[in-house]
Amino acid sequence: MSSLFSVAMLAETLRISAPYACAAVGGVWAERAGIVQIGLEGVLLSGAFAAVAVAVASGSMALGLAAGVALGVGVSMLHATLVEKTRIDAVVSGIALNLLAFSATRLALRALYDSASNSPSIAGFRFGPTGTSGTDMLLRTLLDPVTVIAVLAIAASPFVFAETRFGLRVRAVGENPTAARAAGINVSRTRLAALAVSGAMTALGGVHLAFDQHRFESGMSGGRGFIALAAVVLSGWRPARAAVLCLAFGWLEAVQLRLQDVSRGSSLATLTQLLPYVATLLVLALGLGRRAAPAGLGRHAE
Amino acid sequence: MNQAAEHVRPEGSRGSGPRLALALATRLFEDRVAVSSLSITLEPGRIHALVGENGAGKSTALKMLAGVLAPSSGGVLVDGEPLAPHAQAALDRKIGLVYQHFMLVDVFTALDNIMLGAEPVRRGRLDRATARARAGAIATEAGLEVRLDSSVSELSVGEKQRLEIVRVLFRGARAVLLDEPTAVLAPLEVAELYGTLRRLAAGGATIVVVTHRLDEVVRFADEVTVMRRGSKVHHESLSEDSRSGEEASVLLERLTRAVMGDEPMHTLTPRPLALVAAPLLELVGLSVDNAGSVDNAGGVDNAGGVDGASGAADGSDPSTRKQASTPKRRPAIVDVSLAVAAGEIVGVAGIEGNGQTELVRALAGLVPLAAGMVRVNGDVLFTPELAETTAVRVTRARARGLVTVHEDRHAEELVLDATVRDNLVLGELAQLADEGATQARRLSRFAIEPANPAFLARQLSGGNQQKLVVARALDRGATVLVLAQPTRGVDIGTARVIHQAITDAAASGAAVLIVSADLNELRTLAHRIVVLRQGSIVGELPPSATDEELGRAMLGSRKLPNSELANSATPKSDVRLGNSP
Repeated sequence: MSSLFSVAMLAETLRISAPYACAAVGGVWAERAGIVQIGLEGVLLSGAFAAVAVAVASGSMALGLAAGVALGVGVSMLHATLVEKTRIDAVVSGIALNLLAFSATRLALRALYDSASNSPSIAGFRFGPTGTSGTDMLLRTLLDPVTVIAVLAIAASPFVFAETRFGLRVRAVGENPTAARAAGINVSRTRLAALAVSGAMTALGGVHLAFDQHRFESGMSGGRGFIALAAVVLSGWRPARAAVLCLAFGWLEAVQLRLQDVSRGSSLATLTQLLPYVATLLVLALGLGRRAAPAGLGRHAE
Repeated sequence: MNQAAEHVRPEGSRGSGPRLALALATRLFEDRVAVSSLSITLEPGRIHALVGENGAGKSTALKMLAGVLAPSSGGVLVDGEPLAPHAQAALDRKIGLVYQHFMLVDVFTALDNIMLGAEPVRRGRLDRATARARAGAIATEAGLEVRLDSSVSELSVGEKQRLEIVRVLFRGARAVLLDEPTAVLAPLEVAELYGTLRRLAAGGATIVVVTHRLDEVVRFADEVTVMRRGSKVHHESLSEDSRSGEEASVLLERLTRAVMGDEPMHTLTPRPLALVAAPLLELVGLSVDNAGSVDNAGGVDNAGGVDGASGAADGSDPSTRKQASTPKRRPAIVDVSLAVAAGEIVGVAGIEGNGQTELVRALAGLVPLAAGMVRVNGDVLFTPELAETTAVRVTRARARGLVTVHEDRHAEELVLDATVRDNLVLGELAQLADEGATQARRLSRFAIEPANPAFLARQLSGGNQQKLVVARALDRGATVLVLAQPTRGVDIGTARVIHQAITDAAASGAAVLIVSADLNELRTLAHRIVVLRQGSIVGELPPSATDEELGRAMLGSRKLPNSELANSATPKSDVRLGNSP
């Protein structure tokens, strides 16, 4: 049992939950601005792909990171533009975004690397000790630039929301776009800016995922965007809580991986894979911490 | 983004306000003329009233002055210079608009609402200390008490309005434009509001008030412009002498004629004496929990099709969704007993939020009773023992001839995105043999404008939406009529038609219960007036009771300073007009 709370497990939890947490905080940024964002999955995937493609082409992981974030911002702002300017339903646009990201990355895999499933492998960032002890694992995780940026961005989010002009305006357009406009705020521009932040945040998760796997795989986001969405709702649209929920989910997944090792070969192994999802469903069903969505979510200024 | 630094300047609250003018301004909505070649000039230092019936164009004129609507032709002049048509331009020219439906973010604190759009920032952070100091100073100077650290959802209607005024002053406004500011206020709050406006005008500000209450104009305004069908038909300056006595009634008469134009002056047929008859509607020891109060935070839209008239079909009360966020529950109606006889009209007075909403919702069957009983014509209509779903209760109430008009027409009465045609028979859709004829009759009875049944309910003005709701209710041949604010937001002419229709319904044998914030309305219609305070009936007065007598009963024996009135009168889970536009 003690192995479930070891240093190695902590490192594993951090590594696994980073993409979830990034996507969840990205989701909070979009939805606090009043734009329904079910396209987190697509943003994760786009970010992961762009990061790998540029890293392969340039050999620079930093350039890859920048490219991944940039595509995430672009895709997310495209979503915001469709919703705000052409008034397309955000759910439709979000689904389209997910489908587009999935098939476009497949197409690009085929075109660039002549593969149906994955890219060539990349080095990823390599900092810290190379050993296999728990402490070494934790140090590697903590020194990973993507993780560091993600943690900083996540930690800054509550402050930005509560204490800055930009944060106040984002919340205002998300709660009551009509009132925000009457106060002289450009609702569309504010929402676009918030979705840029959302896209950058989420894509960071995609980059983390790809660098962690050292390659891009088709559909590698694997539903993380939707789990993150659940965390957004559960957190009551609060970034810190959303991140903590994702940590909890990451820990459950780490436990699940450990249990699989233990029960290898038995049918129990397959069942344990369900653990994180069953836990999510339970928490959702119990409605723990239920809180009202931003009142202007999905609404335009009238 | 740096303009906030300029907004922080404290001298914004000094100096003379701008002279506002419309020069041959015309505004069309599609092909309908709302305002036609209107020219008015509004000098600083005075309270200007803009009056007229629904659809006379007064709100449109106000919104053009505030830069919110652009004139289709003609112009808006601020101190002689043209105004660019957007809200920010008006704010830059020190013009602030207080909307009829408050433009507030409910989950924000009052302070955050005040600074939104003009936030002082220090080293990248919101400088709430500076904002608080400035807002506090402005509020004190103008005599507006607002709890800056309370969230807006906890504020009473009157407090929200004070907050809106502080906010426009915070933005440096020296012209304050208010659209129907008194429609939601209790009588004492109205006097308080005008006291504030007077102070602002005395300090040099330009004050413009759109209203349809002529008594206010007589008591408080310096100048009045009467509009009819988009044009100015009358203008005069008022002197102190004309505010009371003989002169005041002459003035009121003159203004009424100007507002009504050539339309015949209706006089209400003398109300029939209350018959000594068996009560038609009986409330026996009625208690209702607060869970059913309408929490319309953030303008919950009823686009999802909450059909208030026919009840939520799945039996789940739509308003209970918000329960979690209003943990402070106390009974809304406590042990109320009341009997209304056939032919009788009973008025219910009280400060908003003292159980009126819950009473009406309970009588409609929308919320269950906690205790007691409702009888119609001697037979039990509701009792808590039955433990029925909302749908069952509502259906039975309707079948027994009980017809309700709720105060929040957006939340309870209309499907805003459905056509006028469908809304006219909402709850009876496909049940009437002569649906077409019924719709035409209801449409014409109160002259709903535009008289086009294909329009969406959303496209009608507030007054016309109210006409639609009332037309539907009064046309159904009710045994028992329960009406909340039946003439809220409608013009004098229509109000008279509605009053006549209510009197007629009573004369033909219906029992009528009217909840109204308009004491004059209750005095005109009711045979007796009961006063509701904190969910209980605390008194019964004859229609001859004065404002003071009624006010005392509404407030209770405690003598409250005016500024405390709003806070104490409205409980936390307060009841507001829907703020969805």
